[in-house]
Order: sequence, then structure tokens, then C-alpha cells
Amino acid sequence: MSELAIRRGAAPALAVEGLSYAYPHAAARALEDVSLEVAPGEFVLLAGRSASGKSTLLKAACGLVPHFHGGEIEGEVRVADLDALATGPGELAAAVGYLAQDPETQVVSTTVAAEIELPLEMRGDAPTDRARAVEEVALALAIPHLLDRATDTLSGGELQRVALAAALVTRPRLILLDEPTSQLDPVAGDELIWLLRRLNEEWGVAVLLAEHRLERCLAAADRVVAMEEGGVGFDGVPADFLAWADEHDHALTTPAARLFSLAGIDPLPIGVRDAKQTLRGTGIAHSPHQASRRVRDPRPQAPVLQAKGVWVELDQGEETRDVLRGIDLQLRPGERVALMGRNGAGKSTLLRTAAGLHEPVAGKIAVDSIALLTQNPGDYLVRERVGDELPGEQGLAALRTVGLEHAIDADPRDLSGGERQRLALAITLAGRMEGEQPPGVVALDEPTRGMDRARKDELVSLIKRLASDVDLVATEATKSTRAAAVVVATHDVEFASEFAERVVLLGDGVVIADGPMAEILSGGWYFATEVARVLDLPGIVTPEQGAAALRGEAG
Amino acid sequence: MRSPFAYVPRRGPLQLASPGAAVSYLGAIVVVAFLYSNPLVLVAAGAAASLAGYLAGARSAVRAGLRLGLSLALLMIVVNALVTSRGETVLARLGDWPLLGRVDVTLEAIVAGLSYGLVAAASIVAFAVYSACVDPDRVLRALRPLAGRSALTATLVSRLVPVAAADATRLRDAAALRGPGAAAVGKAPLARRLLAGSLDRAVDVAATLELRGYSLDAPRARNRRARSRYDRRFYAVAAVVLTTAIAGKLLGADDFQAYPSIEIGLGPGTITMAAVVLLSGLAPLKRPARRPAPRLEVARV
Repeated sequence: MSELAIRRGAAPALAVEGLSYAYPHAAARALEDVSLEVAPGEFVLLAGRSASGKSTLLKAACGLVPHFHGGEIEGEVRVADLDALATGPGELAAAVGYLAQDPETQVVSTTVAAEIELPLEMRGDAPTDRARAVEEVALALAIPHLLDRATDTLSGGELQRVALAAALVTRPRLILLDEPTSQLDPVAGDELIWLLRRLNEEWGVAVLLAEHRLERCLAAADRVVAMEEGGVGFDGVPADFLAWADEHDHALTTPAARLFSLAGIDPLPIGVRDAKQTLRGTGIAHSPHQASRRVRDPRPQAPVLQAKGVWVELDQGEETRDVLRGIDLQLRPGERVALMGRNGAGKSTLLRTAAGLHEPVAGKIAVDSIALLTQNPGDYLVRERVGDELPGEQGLAALRTVGLEHAIDADPRDLSGGERQRLALAITLAGRMEGEQPPGVVALDEPTRGMDRARKDELVSLIKRLASDVDLVATEATKSTRAAAVVVATHDVEFASEFAERVVLLGDGVVIADGPMAEILSGGWYFATEVARVLDLPGIVTPEQGAAALRGEAG
Repeated sequence: MRSPFAYVPRRGPLQLASPGAAVSYLGAIVVVAFLYSNPLVLVAAGAAASLAGYLAGARSAVRAGLRLGLSLALLMIVVNALVTSRGETVLARLGDWPLLGRVDVTLEAIVAGLSYGLVAAASIVAFAVYSACVDPDRVLRALRPLAGRSALTATLVSRLVPVAAADATRLRDAAALRGPGAAAVGKAPLARRLLAGSLDRAVDVAATLELRGYSLDAPRARNRRARSRYDRRFYAVAAVVLTTAIAGKLLGADDFQAYPSIEIGLGPGTITMAAVVLLSGLAPLKRPARRPAPRLEVARV
């Protein structure tokens, strides 16, 4: 079918019928009898827990499954009336674009212009047509200034936009995105979602977007499809989805919807604007004066981390850059601190400097002892048995601390994502603990990438245990009396509101805000929780706090 | 951290030239280096490559190339001095060495080693300039209609190299962050882990290439980019250098002999050859933009 026919045709952008699929050598099917349709120009959000089949469904829609990954497949997949099971991904690329989670492996050319031009060149478009298409897509994504840049000099957010441009340059009818915001800060994440909405409205591109942080994109969606164990658990409009999630799976609901559910307000809101309108309509007003405010524990103990005027300069190819510019920071035992800020603000560099991976060019940083878990837990796992990674008593103590002593004989590759992360944390803790007591500082760098709500809740529990001065492990013989200061670099404001009691906000290498979590996360727009944006009450950041405030006022 | 040899897009003549023209030009300098053994011509070839790199803006690549090339040259001089005892001018008698036997260091062996070293240094600098100034994508795409599979493999490898380098840095950091109570990570497990990770990465990159349509038939001829206005200049310079080099070689301009005694010819042929090669380094010079001539004001009466 010609491209013109594809564009003019009224066929669905995606039609899946009775699709079942198993990866090669897999014990269970990743998809089980999936049927759904995406209409031309529709914006569909694909929700679901980890391993529910979202990514596999996207790969089937762009032809990577089964053409690239192999495996056994049944059913039918049609993209813009092309049979995706009979047509390879290269041919399908005219009708469908795909953007995966990791932008680093989605860019294959040395310059941005060449990367965007590649799909057109491969299908044999004339140079003049290619030049115009590249220019237009670059303008649409606001990246013309990047066209002459080398791709290996781009930040994660820039790479993500370039990969999106390469996926859109053929003017596909459908664009598939697999957690595109997981590595982006709240500002860049919001920008990307609304950019997609604009392309959807102006170019008529149908969007199928898989995401965990639903609060970020639910308001932009026309429809939600929720995956459950390889099948479709729900398919309907966002408002109905929230009602379904509220009854069926709390892990899939949004903070604003949870707020309304706890406060007994109907209907559940699909976004901040919707929530504000409902609150105005129901006459439930709120006053800042009645909001409770969390009081910070003064914690008189000596600091376990003390940074004074720390400057760190990093070599970035042709030039060096001051990534940290005079940071002053103190952490005390038992503090749970969220380190936040835009991509490139210096969060990871600060943690790495504290762990001794970078040397300050000026200033001093003193740390009691620190265990740092970097962004990819898999980097720590090099052996084929958990016990071989963590031998001896010290290893066992570390495993007990993260609750993995039962898995001592397991192969790390057989553990779940959350267990692998805990194992990696145990590897950093081993030998840095005094008996069963954690080191002075436990630092985690972006630990929630690609995590669903349930796994985040497990992580919150672990962080709270590490920072508490009660016994860390459930044995009478070993009682801990020292609490760690836990510092987590994260973009996830909702996660920060769950675990942190203090937030340090970095901007361009300097501390721009440092205070109690409830104060910081309710005092802005981008670095604020959804509940804070809905209620706009100082100190109210979680659904539970918000519901209490609303109930009090309503009553 | 980026490699100094990494390609940097710039608007200079060498970067804008088509891969064929740029490769012909830099290749001509390398050919001279391999064709000649006269140190004066070899120094001129190395200087031409460095000058070309400087004019093209690839200063860090030239510096890195010179460091690498001159280190290699020094090594070759030392090795040649130790393994070759030919030559009339003995500078030092170092006695009997295991494996090497009797070692006499001669001036001739040092000069011969210098000649080999200059060949290596000039070639390395020329390659460094090529690497920093010629877009590898354009080279690979030019090759694709001729050797599709090789171009695909090269594309995959060229993308995987920086990805694997980043992975290796991360793995090293993770190894450094392991607690003292965790099992130490030796180089072998780390290398195994990097290899396994690289295979996963290769699958991801290959999937992206597939999605970009790399498996489709090779692009047709009309797909080729328009030639750069600088192509003719580089082809012409390459032709002049090669013609002069071949003619000079045939006419005895490569007048150099290291053994048994040193004879370095510095006749008009050799000097002309060295001058031509050195001047070829100016080819990437960008002429300043022409300004329109000022118009004469005509007074209206």
C-alpha cells in the first residue's frame, strides 16, 4: 500500500486481535489474547504494573515482535492496515514510530541531522525532501539548534527528543512510546508529554504511550488501556479508568484520584485542572490557615556528612564545567533526604563526590562512611550466585539488612527487579556496617527508574528501616542502635513525598532550596506533588494529608 | 569524557567535503609517508597532516595524534637501536643481552628507526585528522551500496564503541563502590560482565537500525548527497601530491640511506617534494567571506 493511501485511509492506526505471544524459551506468555484498537489521531495511555506486557505490546505494534525477537505468536496485528506479522519493522517504519526507554541505544548516527535523516535516506527519499522533513520535525520538537551537534554530546533529555524526531520524521500515523519520561526531570517530562499532545492534535499522529507515572500524562490522554498479566484489564476513558483503578488496583491510581477517593469526593479527577474545578464546583474551599505543617526534628547528633563550599569540575570532552559550585550540606543520622533538581543540576555528582569518585577542586567534604548505589543496579552483579557476591558474615549481615538472606543460593539473574536492586544495595553495604548497623550515609541515585508503584512502596519501607534507629533485622540477637542518613537523588516527586522528611533542591550546581519535605514539595509547581498542585496548601503533599484537610473543612 | 579522536561536526572545508574527497586528500599524505623514507619528506608529511588538522579545527585530535605518534616513533627508535647492530658509527657497546645477543648501538640504526617512526607518526596524525573531521556515517553510507553487510557491521560497531566505553566506566565505578565485605571484582569478571552487557546493547542498537529501515534495500543513486564545493580542491591537491610523489620517487627525490653510513639527500628534488607535501597541509584553509565592493555614492543634483 502506498504511503498516500495509508495517510488517507480510515483504517485504525493500530488494530490488535487475539494476540498471544511468548518470547523464545520463556515459560509463560508475555501477551495473552490481547485485542484493542487505536483510532487515527487518538492518544492512548497504556497503564499497568511492571511485566504486565506493555513493552511487548508496543514491540508487537512496531514489528520488533516477532521479526526481531523471535518467539511464538498468534493472532493479528495491523498497523495502518499493514499486516505487522507479515511486514518487517523497516517497512512498518513508514506508518509507525517507536521510542524505547533508553535513549542511549536509540541513536545510531554521529550527528543529530544525520540521525533524523536516516529513516528517510533508508527508504530512498530525495535529498530535497529529506532536508525539508528534517527541518520541519526539528522545528516541531524545538531542536533546530541541535542539528549540527554530535549525538554523543547530548544530554539524556536531548537524546530522547532526537530519537523522537527520528521516529516522527517519516510522518507516521502512530507513535509508540515506552516510558519516555523515566529518565527525565519533572520539567522535561511534562514538556515531552505536552509536546506529544501537540503533535497528536496538530499532526494527527495517534499516540500509544506506556507510562508508570500516570499523574504526568493522564490528563493528556483520550483513553486508557490497562494491562494485567499479559491481557487487557481495562479499556476506556480516563475518568472510568480511575474509578476502575480505585476499586481494582490502587497501584495504578493517581495521587489526585486517591485524594478524592479518601475524601469521598466524586468524580475522581483526571488531572490538576479537573480536580480544582471539581473542588470549586462542590464548594469545598480550603484555607491555608487550617493546613497542618510538619515540624522538623532538630536532630542534635553530629553530622555524618558535611560538605563545605564544595566545587567539582568535570571534564566534558573539549571543555570542563563546574558541575558543583560551592555546595554546603550537612546530613545527620536518621535523616531521610530527597536530592532533587533538573537533569544536569549536579545531584549524581554530589553523591559521587561524597563516595570518593570525584575529587573536589575546592572545598571539603567529610563523610562518616557511605554506601552509594548508582543508577544501574545490574552493574554491581557480576557473579552467578548471590552468596558468591556476598561471602562471609559481613555479606550475610548485609543480605539480612535488605531482607534477602533467603536468596543466598539464587542466581542474581533469577531475582525480580526489586530484589536485584536490594542485592546491589547489600553489595555496597557489606563491610561498611558495624555488626547489623548501617553505615553513616546510604545514598541511592535515581532508584525508581521504570518502577511501578508497588516496587516503590517496598523501597520506601527499606529506606525507612535503614534510617530508623530500631532493629534493622528481625532477630532478637541483633539490635541496631545507629540510624543511617539516607539520601536519594530522584526526579520522582511523589516518591520523594513518600519517603523523605527533607528535600534539598539543586539548580545548576548550587543548593537553591533546603527544608522540610512538606514545605519544599508544596511550594512550587514542577517540584511539587500532584496533591500540592491541586490543593495549593502549604505543607500538604500526600493524598492522606490532603484528604484529612478536605474532610476537616468539608465537615 | 569524549575521545579526542571523536568526530566533531564543524563547518570547515574538510568536514564539508564528501568522504571521497577527504579520504583522497588525507590518503595522499599517508601514501607519501609510506612511499618515502627520507626524513625531510616524512617530517613534511607529518607537518602537513598536523597543519591540515589545525586548520580544520581538530586541534585536540592533532595533539593526541602527535603524542601517540611520537611515542610510537620513540619506541621504534629504541627497539631498532637495540635489535640492529648494523652501521659504522657505534655510539655504545652494551655487551651481551639475553635473547638479543651482542648489542651495539649505532647512529645509523637510530636514524633508520627515526625514519620508520616518522612514517608511523605521520600516518597516525593523518588518521587522527580523518577520525575527527570526516563523518563516519557518511563514509558508511557511501559504502553501503557496495558492501551492505560490512557497512551494517561497521555502523553497529561504531555506535557500540562509545556505548561500551560508557558501560565500562559505569562498571568500574560500581566495582569501586562495592563494600569491603563484598567479593572483590577482578578484571576477568568485569570483562565478562561488560561483554554480556555489550551483547544486550548490540541487540538494542540493532533493533534501532532495523526500525530506521536499515534492512531495506540499499538506497538508490539519487540518494547521494550533493557534492561539496570543496571537493574539487581536495581532489586536485591529492592528485598533485600523488603525481609529484610518484614522479619524485622515480626521479630519485627519495634519496636516503641509513646503512652502512647515513646519506640523506637534500637535493632540489627532495626539497621540492617536501615543499609540495608541506603546502598540501594548507588545503583545509577557509577563505574569508568576500564582502561586496562598496558602492560609490552618486551625488544627485
